[in-house]
Amino acid sequence: MSFDELVGGDDLSPEEEARLRRVHELLVQAGPPPDLPPTLEHPQAPTEGEIIQFPLLPRRRFAVAAVAAALLVVVGFGGGYLVGHSKAKPAQFAARRVVAMHGQTALAVLKIAKADSGGNWPMELQVSGLASQRNRGDYYELWATKNGKITAPCGGFRVHGRTTSVRFTVPYRFENFDGWVVTVQPEGVRIPGRVVLST
Amino acid sequence: MTSLTLAFAAPLRTIPTVTSDGELIQRAAGGDRSAFELLYRRYARPVFGLALRRLGDRGRAEDAVQETFASIWRSAGSYRPDRGPGAPWLYAVARNAIVDRARSRTDTPAEIPETAASEPGPADRAEQSWVAWRVHRALEELPEREREVIALAYWSGLSQSEVAEFLGIPLGTVKTRTRAALQRLADIMGEEVDA
Repeated sequence: MSFDELVGGDDLSPEEEARLRRVHELLVQAGPPPDLPPTLEHPQAPTEGEIIQFPLLPRRRFAVAAVAAALLVVVGFGGGYLVGHSKAKPAQFAARRVVAMHGQTALAVLKIAKADSGGNWPMELQVSGLASQRNRGDYYELWATKNGKITAPCGGFRVHGRTTSVRFTVPYRFENFDGWVVTVQPEGVRIPGRVVLST
Repeated sequence: MTSLTLAFAAPLRTIPTVTSDGELIQRAAGGDRSAFELLYRRYARPVFGLALRRLGDRGRAEDAVQETFASIWRSAGSYRPDRGPGAPWLYAVARNAIVDRARSRTDTPAEIPETAASEPGPADRAEQSWVAWRVHRALEELPEREREVIALAYWSGLSQSEVAEFLGIPLGTVKTRTRAALQRLADIMGEEVDA
């Protein structure tokens, strides 16, 4: 349908008519907007990425330090067993900072070593109690967070057995973050999945 | 009658006072979920339309929409209002997510076309995508009764008389709503129309 049929222009000023004609042309050029499928009626990302506040703030620092210490004791006592059952024997990891993470059925210790001269931070994540993935393409992902929002990926991993230890290196400036989470990542899904561990 | 005329005429040339996209992005960066949801309401359809154009598959387009808004939520803090309004930033985030999704396609081998392509080139496609993005975004701002008239008048194939019959309103009302909708769209799209 033409512009004249749709709107008419007899009572419009030339400027206004030109303006509306331009909108008409844009509408024709754009075509109809698509219908949204039911799955897209509401946003999903914020709820999936929602986490608890990072506990290394002063008021919770001691409680978390206690959890981290307890976890390290457990890891320490079980170290020989765990290392003996892992396929690769990791070299010594000189942690400068230790962060405890916890979920409903799982615990983890994230150790962060000194950054190299280029600003790459080695990290070692020891997780215990996470379910093994059935699908070969599924994995877990460690993310850095800020103000409760998932902000930057730190690395993916799969678990084997009761306890798994993996290492990552990330180039981020840690002052830009205030926590970490681990999410479940089904094969092919790149947005943050369900949070199973958080600081 | 007077009040009806005033009530109808007033919004036509009034620039909407809604929160800008840039403000919403900044609020989302601070963890404001309601701002994020408003962005979603404004842009879910344009993002889905863009993804459908590029990917040609509704399932993959849906995934691309989810990825786009996850990216917006994660990276809203990187938006700098001094570098421009929110719409182009959102378009760039969506385009990147959709391109990533297109690249991730590994299950179907590339098909060699049998005839020379008569389709628009990359630059034209980009221009068309941007126009559709802006128009579909602006349509989200229209009152339902105006959006309905625009959809029927432009894309249903119905004549205006048929639109009037379909909606059960006088033909004159169809024309009035169409004009009002175009004026409102012109206000929303601003510089793009005035240029």
